[in-house]
Amino acid sequence: MEKTVVVVGVDDSERSFYALEWTLDHLFLTVLEKCPFKLVVVHAKPASTTAIRQDLKRMAAKVLEKAKGFCEAKLVNDAAFEVMEGNARYVPCEAVENHQASVLVVGSHGYGALKRTVLGSVSDYCAHHAHCSVMIVKKPKNKH
Amino acid sequence: MKVLVAIDESEESFYALQWAVDDLLSYSPAAEENAIAAVTLLHVYPPFQPFIYPSGPGMHLVYATPVVIHSVNKAQREKAASILSRALTICTEKNVKAETLIMEGDAKDKICEMADELQVDLVVMGSRGHGAIKRAWLGSVSSYCVHNLHCNILVVKLPLGEGKPTGSK
Repeated sequence: MEKTVVVVGVDDSERSFYALEWTLDHLFLTVLEKCPFKLVVVHAKPASTTAIRQDLKRMAAKVLEKAKGFCEAKLVNDAAFEVMEGNARYVPCEAVENHQASVLVVGSHGYGALKRTVLGSVSDYCAHHAHCSVMIVKKPKNKH
Repeated sequence: MKVLVAIDESEESFYALQWAVDDLLSYSPAAEENAIAAVTLLHVYPPFQPFIYPSGPGMHLVYATPVVIHSVNKAQREKAASILSRALTICTEKNVKAETLIMEGDAKDKICEMADELQVDLVVMGSRGHGAIKRAWLGSVSSYCVHNLHCNILVVKLPLGEGKPTGSK
């Protein structure tokens, strides 16, 4: 049976890991035996000069290690992990194309309207430009 | 997991519902009493402005008569009911428990309001795939909801090549 590919975008923020955890809990834990989803975790590494490249590489590796840990803790062992160089907005959309994903999951920065206008919103960009369904996971203010 | 699915008469929102039901909700473990999700189908219809702006110079607002208002309201309610019954059928076909809700008002406000009130975990909606410019002028329910909902949101798009293309650059 062809699996539905789910791409989750992660960076080093707690919100994006919350998004990964939510996805694992709700899409993957519910059907252990015949899981219809294939998970791809993508981290966007900003394009950089050689000076800080090492640092960024290290951070990317840490992020993916943490993501791997999360997945294995939830018994998802066949997830794919990728680092793609580029802007955080474009990378998830590109990953969707590469993997022919049906769902893209991203966390949300929870910026207010002003910050969002100035800084732009990755989740908004993805919601409108990804060629698949997009799930935006928000971390609740008071975790119950 | 409590899910709210926003339905209107567009093909996109029905596709969103079908997709959600097929891919997300029909995989409940066999013996589980409380299924994966409790689904609320929400349909919001715009309020009927009971006045008519006649064209022509120096004309005043004309208020529609109660008969007209009544029949328009009735037609709106009937339309809402038929939309929701179609949506409910999609759910029951896949053994997904769902209940329906009809509201009058601005779709994006009402969706956010109900999502908060019902304390849902996820809102599912279709996206009309307007381009950036159309979205700025016409407004976008999904854009508004993406920013203002306090819970997760899933925006489902028609696959490329089927119906309208998804957002353009």
